[in-house]
Amino acid sequence: MRAKSILTLCDGPTCIHKNSRVIREALEAEICKHGLSEEVGIHLSGCLGMCSKGPILIINPGYTIYGGITVEDIPEIVQEHLVHRQPVARLVVQEDHLYNRFFRIFGDVDFFGRQMRIALRNCGIIDPESIDDYLSVRGYEALAKVLTGMSPREVIAEVKKAGLRGRGGAGFPTGLKWDITARETSDEKYVICNADEGDPGAFMDRSAIEGDPHTVLEGITIGGYAIGAVKGIVYIRAEYPLAIKRLEKAIAAARENGLLGNNILGSNFSFDIEIRLGAGAFVCGEETALIHSIEGRRGMPTPRPPYPSVKGLFGKPTLINNVETWANIPVIILDGGEWFSTVGTETSKGTKVFALAGKVHNTGLIEVPMGTTLREIIYDIGGGIPDGKKFKAVQTGGPSGGCLPEDYLDTQIDYESLAAAGSIMGSGGMIVIDEDSCMVNLAKFFLEFTQDESCGKCTPCRGGTKRMLEILTRITEGNGKEGDIEKLERLGNMIRKASLCGLGQSAPNPVLSTLKNFRHEYEEHIYQKKCRAGICSNLVTYEITEKCIGCGACRRVCPVNAIAGKRQEQHVINQETCIKCGQCFTTCKFDAIVKA
Amino acid sequence: MVTPLDIIKKKRAEAVARIIGRGYLSTKRVYVGMATCEIAAGSKEVMEVFRQAISNGGLTDVYLSQKGCAGRCNLEPTVEIVEEGNIPVKYGKVNPERARQIIEHHLKNNEVIEEWLI
Amino acid sequence: MEKSITIHINNKPYTVDSGQTIMQAADKLGFHIPRLCYHPKLSIEGACRVCIVEVEGMKNYVASCSFPVNDGMKIHTNTTELRRARRDIVELILDNHPLDCHTCDRNGTCELQRLSYSMGIKARHFEGERKHYDEDLSSRAVVRNPNKCILCGRCVRICSEVQNVHNLSQAHRGFRTVVMPAYNMPFSESVCTACGQCINVCPTAAFVEKSYTQELFEQLNDPNLIKVVQFAPSVRAAIGEAFGLEPGHNMEGQLVAALRKLGFDYVFDTQFSADLTIMEEASEFLERIQNKGVLPMITSCSSAWMKCMEQFYPDLIDNVSTCKSPMSMNGAMIKSYFTEKIQVDPKKILSVAVMCCTAKKYEADRPELMFDDLRGVDIVVTTREAAWMIKSAGIDFLKIQPEKVDAPLGLSSGAGAIFGATGGVMEAAIRTAYELYTGETLVDIELGGIRGLKGIKEASLEMDGREIRVAVAHGLGNACNLLDLVRKDPGRYHFIEIMGCPGGCVGGGGQPYAGANSIPLDEEALQKRAKALYDLDRGKTIRRSHENPDIQKLYREFLQRPLSPTSHKYLHTHYQAKLPRGIIPDKAIF
Ligand SMILES: Cc1cc2nc3c(=O)[nH]c(=O)nc-3n(C[C@H](O)[C@H](O)[C@H](O)COP(=O)(O)O)c2cc1C
Ligand code: SF4
Ligand code: SF4
Ligand code: SF4
Ligand code: FES
Repeated sequence: MRAKSILTLCDGPTCIHKNSRVIREALEAEICKHGLSEEVGIHLSGCLGMCSKGPILIINPGYTIYGGITVEDIPEIVQEHLVHRQPVARLVVQEDHLYNRFFRIFGDVDFFGRQMRIALRNCGIIDPESIDDYLSVRGYEALAKVLTGMSPREVIAEVKKAGLRGRGGAGFPTGLKWDITARETSDEKYVICNADEGDPGAFMDRSAIEGDPHTVLEGITIGGYAIGAVKGIVYIRAEYPLAIKRLEKAIAAARENGLLGNNILGSNFSFDIEIRLGAGAFVCGEETALIHSIEGRRGMPTPRPPYPSVKGLFGKPTLINNVETWANIPVIILDGGEWFSTVGTETSKGTKVFALAGKVHNTGLIEVPMGTTLREIIYDIGGGIPDGKKFKAVQTGGPSGGCLPEDYLDTQIDYESLAAAGSIMGSGGMIVIDEDSCMVNLAKFFLEFTQDESCGKCTPCRGGTKRMLEILTRITEGNGKEGDIEKLERLGNMIRKASLCGLGQSAPNPVLSTLKNFRHEYEEHIYQKKCRAGICSNLVTYEITEKCIGCGACRRVCPVNAIAGKRQEQHVINQETCIKCGQCFTTCKFDAIVKA
Repeated sequence: MVTPLDIIKKKRAEAVARIIGRGYLSTKRVYVGMATCEIAAGSKEVMEVFRQAISNGGLTDVYLSQKGCAGRCNLEPTVEIVEEGNIPVKYGKVNPERARQIIEHHLKNNEVIEEWLI
Repeated sequence: MEKSITIHINNKPYTVDSGQTIMQAADKLGFHIPRLCYHPKLSIEGACRVCIVEVEGMKNYVASCSFPVNDGMKIHTNTTELRRARRDIVELILDNHPLDCHTCDRNGTCELQRLSYSMGIKARHFEGERKHYDEDLSSRAVVRNPNKCILCGRCVRICSEVQNVHNLSQAHRGFRTVVMPAYNMPFSESVCTACGQCINVCPTAAFVEKSYTQELFEQLNDPNLIKVVQFAPSVRAAIGEAFGLEPGHNMEGQLVAALRKLGFDYVFDTQFSADLTIMEEASEFLERIQNKGVLPMITSCSSAWMKCMEQFYPDLIDNVSTCKSPMSMNGAMIKSYFTEKIQVDPKKILSVAVMCCTAKKYEADRPELMFDDLRGVDIVVTTREAAWMIKSAGIDFLKIQPEKVDAPLGLSSGAGAIFGATGGVMEAAIRTAYELYTGETLVDIELGGIRGLKGIKEASLEMDGREIRVAVAHGLGNACNLLDLVRKDPGRYHFIEIMGCPGGCVGGGGQPYAGANSIPLDEEALQKRAKALYDLDRGKTIRRSHENPDIQKLYREFLQRPLSPTSHKYLHTHYQAKLPRGIIPDKAIF
């Protein structure tokens, strides 16, 4: 039966410290006592961001927030709220924060319970094409607040206090970047929103724009105010037509409402935003390449320094941040930098959006507080590995991230911990890999992408990734040689340290991390000519066992006539002729053909 | 003096009034996911079914709106139905046929179709 | 604001100025960090990564060509790990390079060769697939061979940043990256002006001139031909470098002797026809001044400029002097005046020009320059090719006895010599124009204001109470900047000299490659070459073109007077607007 009420109990560190786990037991017992177990669901959530008022219990429908509750309060809450549907007024906390609004309306607690939504707070809640919807959820209030009574320096101080770091990959402190750009003196400055999102399989930024374009525009405008720019540019890939359409619509609506253009909201701040389309090269997400692309030149990175904050678009100081970074800004302004900094870990504040994909039950877009462990994401939110398969690795950070094995499942999500584990935060790709995947082949797959997307400018990335790919290809084809592993390491380390831009500097990550964590698989490929996952076709042999009834189906599908055998007798595969296409394997109805 | 904050608060009040004017206070609110991924999964057609049902008068006291992606990629298209005082329900993998069923059973007769819920 | 800071290189402290890169600081301290894509005249590319160093506290290597020094910075240039990484990088370049050094045009002058030698590469680790492209042989002047390209981007940068032609760009991505003109057009159809600067800066043989040396050797052995050669002013000032001399030696006598030894029957001097050019050009200028013709008048000696103008400044066609270049004037005189004198059929003449320039190969082919169905010059070889031929023929250039040029197309004034340096044509023209206009001799004939390597130089002088404003630009980029001024303010100047190459002909696309311890287009070398020409001028008693007795004789015997119908037939030309392919024309212009 579907629950009539859903109780969300904060299971963040502070609330646990404040006895939430004991409260939970008391709650369960009390609910049971009233015979409500059937119609009341209890769920634990990650930190709800209200630590100072904890322990926190939220009851839906109605989004009633109880704070500072003790075991003694439980009977009253159950009796009054759950039985009589009357909130216990003395325990209710009045909160009008922006984040986590989804708790008001989402019923889908399994998936959302552990999440915390700041950047995506309106995604899936409001109509993205309606500025009314956005205004109704306190949209543009942060901008109004800034224009009413905050100096640019105060805005920057607030962002610094929040401890926000860039969500585009490198994790550079956002407030510091704003500060540097604000300090530059120049007749013109620019603000850029990086919505290039070139990682294959990534769609965080696209969803954020499609689901809530005004938030991004509001963030950019606040950034423009803080650094003294009059123009903002959203650089978005042309393959995102819906996001572009919604952005255009949002910009038009914002202009109409005096939220962009001259004298915004009657103040003397003027600012406008334009859209520039990218052609979808991965490297054009790199900030200097992106700037060249906007300038109409070939999208190739240039050495930094000079950084864009000093010499960027058209040689002018330019503030460039990622979509998700921008989306955090209105919340920081309204809920406060101090509050923001309570979410997350020591070095990484706030939340991070991930595109969870691969071999998990619930694939999708999630936003979790920094500090959430990989295990929580994969098993609690993702629902674990389907089909009873075994977990093998998780790859974070997109095509240039690293693959972490089971030992690392308790790694916390933050910039430093992931780097220490040998991977990266990147822009938020997360791919779960089960035992059916060959790690060598996987590394090759990612390197194929980066190798192909290398802009070709610098030698290590252009030439080095090509040679690495050649070596990986021969290993997966069964032609690996002694010394290949060492060559991969040698090249990989050199490319990582010598390349011009982040693409090259991170391209060897999938290879180096699998070499570190799954070295035995490489060795098996090279020395035993074996692929344990049965993926590298050259290393697989198909054999027919005594289960064969001699139906001849396999003989008929084999494209090279490698199978022989009389009717109703066990067939045999001629290994010399076999091209390992696997057709016989899929055709046999009697499981008589095995892969080895 | 009128501050930007005053202006924005006024704008918000106007926006809320307009939303209410569009029927937000109806007993049931229906939200159809309309992000690229959802549209690719077929949400446009689903939206059309609801729209038709409302425009031909078969469905009343319902507020219909679109929304962005909420992240449930593997279960798209999604349709969420919100009713004040109740836990909202969300249907996954909705197609036009399912949408018609949802209209008949859930919206018109308050029978939630449990097996399609997320 | 520069201030003194302390840096450590390989554990030793040094005091250096802030505001410079690690490479610049190290250079001054006597550490030559290996490098490839860096060129001081061009923007920082940071592409080759050969110049990496270790900086304590930084997790990655740092490209020293682009990274600034900071106070207290601890730099290491030669750690074991760094040496290995650097060597691996150079190996990666070699692994995608043809490795046919012994038959390559740049054998001995190739920067990659020198670099890989200095890396101590003994074993090869990463060989694999190599690129294969066809050579682009379509142009008369410039050959593009992407197989040898190491993607340092120098050519792209010089063609855009210095020459403003923007003919070249990297195309495609990753391993398939290749430098090409827009849409991979053949060079002959591209906007290339044939200036040859890409050849000058390319560290390898990915850009070279189209060579005519084999053909020339064959024709020199043809007994039925009369072989005549001329050589440009700045060839003599640079060719010594190809034989190991420092820049700045005037090798005129040796060159004349060597050309005779190669088999030329007559050795003439382009400096003679430079004097002739001045006669025609100064007269044309005065005519424009007096008859309210189109001003400013712009010189036309530089062939790369000719093409640049026809493509990008067709609106200025009427401003450009109709005079042919000195080379083409000489060629025209060889096949008319001279053949009449020695009474042979011009078709029996092999007219060769040794030029500091690659664009002259293109110019020699321009149909607009033909007369009597003849081309004035049949074969153009560059300074480099001439030096190679001299070596290949076994001539000991440095020990040879100097010889003198032949009459009647050899004797020159000092004005003809300085044609080879930027500002020289203007200076020479003023020396003559002044006298023709005022009837008085210009006493102070050295115009310091328009000498030197400043991009755009301006001067003004008075002729009979009339102010004449002149401007000089060298390198097509500077030229474009100057002409953009002219487009906005046509009355600003009366006379403009434009040379397509940096420094003028001394920095031409056909000059000897930089030696092992020098860099292409090094300013000091350009200045030394120019100085050799200015010294030549100073050493002459005749320093004004109109005083050259052989010029006077030529007018007496053949041309009558400047701008006569005969002059027009042989010495003047015309231009045609060329729509650059692949570029959307500016409606206002076409
Ligand atoms: C190869 C490469 C691709 C990148 N792609 C993106 C991208 O798609 N979106 C993005 O925001 N940042 C991308 N970045 C990071 C940007 O260079 C830059 O750091 C970022 O936009 C800064 O914003 P932030 O401080 O908000 O993260 C990329 C970097 C590299 C090296
Ligand atoms: S690291 Fe790769 S993408 Fe980046 S500049 Fe070098 S070649 Fe281009
Ligand atoms: S010859 Fe000159 S114009 Fe032509 S490509 Fe080279 S640098 Fe550019
Ligand atoms: S052609 Fe020569 S100068 Fe141009 S990029 Fe290639 S190697 Fe460098
Ligand atoms: S010389 Fe510094 S990267 Fe090439």
